[in-house]
Amino acid sequence: MDTKVDTSVHASPLGFWKRLLLSPNGIVGLVIVLGLIFCAIFAEHLAPHNPAKMGTGGRFLPPNSDFFLGTDEFGRDMLSRILYGSRITLLIGAVAVGISLTIGMLIGMLAAFRRGWIEAILMRSTDILFSFTETLIALSFVAVLGPSLQNAVIAVGVAGIPFYARTCYSAALVETSKPYFEASISIGSSPGRLLFFHLLPNVLPTMIVVATLGVSTAILAAAGLSFLGLGAQPPTSEWGYMLAGSRDYINRAPWLMTIPGLAIAVTVLGFNLLGDGLRTSLDPVERK
Amino acid sequence: MWHFLSTRLAMGFLTIWVTTIMVTLLIHAVPGDPVQIMYAQSQGTTPEQIEQVRRSLGLDRPIHIQYLMYMERLFQGDLGVTIRGGQPVLEVIFQRLPNTLMLAVTAMFIAILIGVPIGFLAAYREGTVIDIALMVLAIAGISMPHFWLGLMLLFFFALELGWLPVSGNSIMNLILPALTLGLSNAAIFARLTRSSMIDVMSQDFIQTAYAKGLPKALVLRRHVMRAGLLPVVTMMGLQFAFMMGGAIVVENIFSWNGVGRMAVEAIFQRDYPIIQGFILTFSVVVVVVAIAIDALYAVLDPRIRRA
Repeated sequence: MDTKVDTSVHASPLGFWKRLLLSPNGIVGLVIVLGLIFCAIFAEHLAPHNPAKMGTGGRFLPPNSDFFLGTDEFGRDMLSRILYGSRITLLIGAVAVGISLTIGMLIGMLAAFRRGWIEAILMRSTDILFSFTETLIALSFVAVLGPSLQNAVIAVGVAGIPFYARTCYSAALVETSKPYFEASISIGSSPGRLLFFHLLPNVLPTMIVVATLGVSTAILAAAGLSFLGLGAQPPTSEWGYMLAGSRDYINRAPWLMTIPGLAIAVTVLGFNLLGDGLRTSLDPVERK
Repeated sequence: MWHFLSTRLAMGFLTIWVTTIMVTLLIHAVPGDPVQIMYAQSQGTTPEQIEQVRRSLGLDRPIHIQYLMYMERLFQGDLGVTIRGGQPVLEVIFQRLPNTLMLAVTAMFIAILIGVPIGFLAAYREGTVIDIALMVLAIAGISMPHFWLGLMLLFFFALELGWLPVSGNSIMNLILPALTLGLSNAAIFARLTRSSMIDVMSQDFIQTAYAKGLPKALVLRRHVMRAGLLPVVTMMGLQFAFMMGGAIVVENIFSWNGVGRMAVEAIFQRDYPIIQGFILTFSVVVVVVAIAIDALYAVLDPRIRRA
């Protein structure tokens, strides 16, 4: 049996924040993500114009002092649309990851905790779904449910479940073999107590890292579906959808293409960097 | 090695078998009447015709009978006919599949040729400015949406500079989509190669190799490269699946006539036989490639080969 002292992250909660803020990836990621949340919350106050109002300015105005990011084919203000779009994007990321994370963690924890045939069935089916790849699962879901933003988010969320279940399963397996867990079993703790008071808090750090990195994957996937016309429908100011519309005006108004793409890239970069920073601050092996 | 491969093979068959079940169930998961929905877009379809289609698809039979009917036809190479045009689905897919495979394979070469040397260089210069710069580049590359990269490449190389055609299906047309798909995956290969090489370089047998006086170039080539590239080979199967998924989007940007573009069109037109055929083909391709790469891995890695 493993008798080494557990060097878990709980040993130094202060050290974690310090490490995160000192890692270049973590701090840049945190600033980008906080900035996005700020934009999303205060979109009404930050946006200079109504994002949905056509003819606010002329059509295809290049970026100028009135319209910092120019206007689109209907004369709508691009800056306002991008700002409101941050709301949709963050919501997409949160809901999709919420779906993958909750169901994935339940499957992973249950499989590691129950073992036996439950483990075999859950993990074998997870393996099979995993080899379908997320794109195919998401596409099949949209094919069945029909194109809409809501369906695209559900599709992306469901497509992520196998990955989260696998990761949670391997993290939970490690925990269930640790002395504290075996001790808790031997004093007769109820399954509910074992699952939610012992297993859950200890797999959570790993899953937070996975979920942070997962937000970027989910945002990319949903934007990709919207780009294909299988997600957000007009007149939503969803960035992937805006990017798809820009194709027709690529010569006339290249800013319609560069700006939403940049917005997606920066958002995804922010969550990737934050996830990277979290991983290095939580994982003592990576840190060196 | 045979045990390793037979497990993978069994898993592959299981995956394809589950796909056939899912594909049969797919049409039943559609909210409402699938036949009505499929024909909603074509005018002048009589109720008799709809009833006939329902019967020919076997939708009036119990679901397990439908599955057996589907499997029976599948073994005869019959994937049904398209709703629009009434062409055999298998024919439609086989016309386009080579285009998609060509795109994915070319992109894979680009990703490896760019990603692996960058990862190796970063690992070799670990901790230096070069390493940091390359890894910043890689994380930026991973964060970049490939559909955006595609549009930008289209804008600069096809429209601004006029060097390459915007769309079509010749070799020249392959360059931009393959570059789009390849570049966005090169970053993943770079990160993977770097961490794998760093891992290998810190191991005892590398110290031993240096200690017995082997020249650095030889240690790098014979020991570090060989051991460090193995995880990269393992990842190729998963990467190929990503490429196939990414091809769906990229084909649509560049109007490349592959199965991905066909699938998206079919979703819009509610052409379920094509969608079913696409899902099945996609998973067969991904499973076959994954098994081939596992076999390659087993041959390359003596620890598995001799097991």
